[in-house]
Amino acid sequence: MEVTLLLEATENAFRILQRAREHAVGVLDTAVEFTAEETRYCDEKRCRALFTGAQRKKTQIHNFVGTSIILFAFWMLLSGKFDAFHLGLGAICCTLVAYLFHDLLFANVRVGDMRIVTARFIAYIPWLIEQIVLANIHVASLVLRPKMPIDPQIIEFKTKLETDISCVTLANSITLTPGTITIDIKDGVYYVHALSQKVADDLNAGEMEDRVAHIFMEADHLYVQDVLDAARIYQTLRV
Amino acid sequence: MTRASDDVIIKALARLLMPFIVAYALYVVMHGHHSPGGGFQGGVILAAGFVLLVVTHGLEQTRKRMSEKLAGVISSIGVFIYGGIGALCLILGGNYLDYGKLSKILLVTPAEARSLGILGVEIGVALAVMAVMYIIFFAIFTAGESPEDDGRAE
Repeated sequence: MEVTLLLEATENAFRILQRAREHAVGVLDTAVEFTAEETRYCDEKRCRALFTGAQRKKTQIHNFVGTSIILFAFWMLLSGKFDAFHLGLGAICCTLVAYLFHDLLFANVRVGDMRIVTARFIAYIPWLIEQIVLANIHVASLVLRPKMPIDPQIIEFKTKLETDISCVTLANSITLTPGTITIDIKDGVYYVHALSQKVADDLNAGEMEDRVAHIFMEADHLYVQDVLDAARIYQTLRV
Repeated sequence: MTRASDDVIIKALARLLMPFIVAYALYVVMHGHHSPGGGFQGGVILAAGFVLLVVTHGLEQTRKRMSEKLAGVISSIGVFIYGGIGALCLILGGNYLDYGKLSKILLVTPAEARSLGILGVEIGVALAVMAVMYIIFFAIFTAGESPEDDGRAE
């Protein structure tokens, strides 16, 4: 009788121990899992931080090198002396200036866009010159006519451009074109003085703004050409 | 008194012009010994660049690039370079600012030593002029604020 009791008690004890062991293993497993997750999360975070840091560093170095090259070209243009002493001085000065002001020249430019932007900007200049010549002829014809049919007015329009540099390009293009002068930009609204109804209509048509947006690749902007293309495809699909 | 300008055109163009203004100022300083220009002119152009930055980007932004304390240190360094080169000539046995004597330590002919000595003095003058113009400009612009206000604003 006592032996059976003892056996039972031992068995119970073993069972309890077994359960405790299972619990312990479970807890340990969870702990290991948590630790692993934590480590992975930390690793991921560190990787991301490293990546963004590297990205920023890369942008900075790009800006630095770009600024120093441009400044060195500017220096050679000014100096006109190509002996080792002056070129060395120029290199030192340009590196110093680029180090101090590398964030000014290329602020707000997305990485890797620079080449496309430059190419498109150069392609924009002939069009701008053509516009200037046309506007010159128009303004001259207005002024030379004895009646002088001018209709001065201030027009305002809301721009779709986002970055400061594109706004400035558009404003200066407007001012360069005879007959129109940019007075102010406030909160993305242009105030432009126009000499006659024709130049005002030309401006309101927005071709210049579209072209400037195209240069600087303003992302969420629909180009007229794109809309026309899409309309053609849509027509074909519907028929 | 001087907050950042809210005119997009002026801000963007000042940002684009600033490196070129500083590079031009350094060109004027470095070529001062055989063309018009020199330490004073270059220093004033440098200071003008910083004034442009203050007018367009505001005092705080400019303080981040160069504080008044740093400007004070730079002006002292400039005067030190000028006086140091003059005194070095005295030590080497010439008159004050007698650059020809520098040929002994620069290991070049006296004529070249004169050219290099003038260049060194011009760099010192440019630094001093730039820093002092900057400090004067800051003093005028922050005339209304007391120093304590200044500390709290930052």
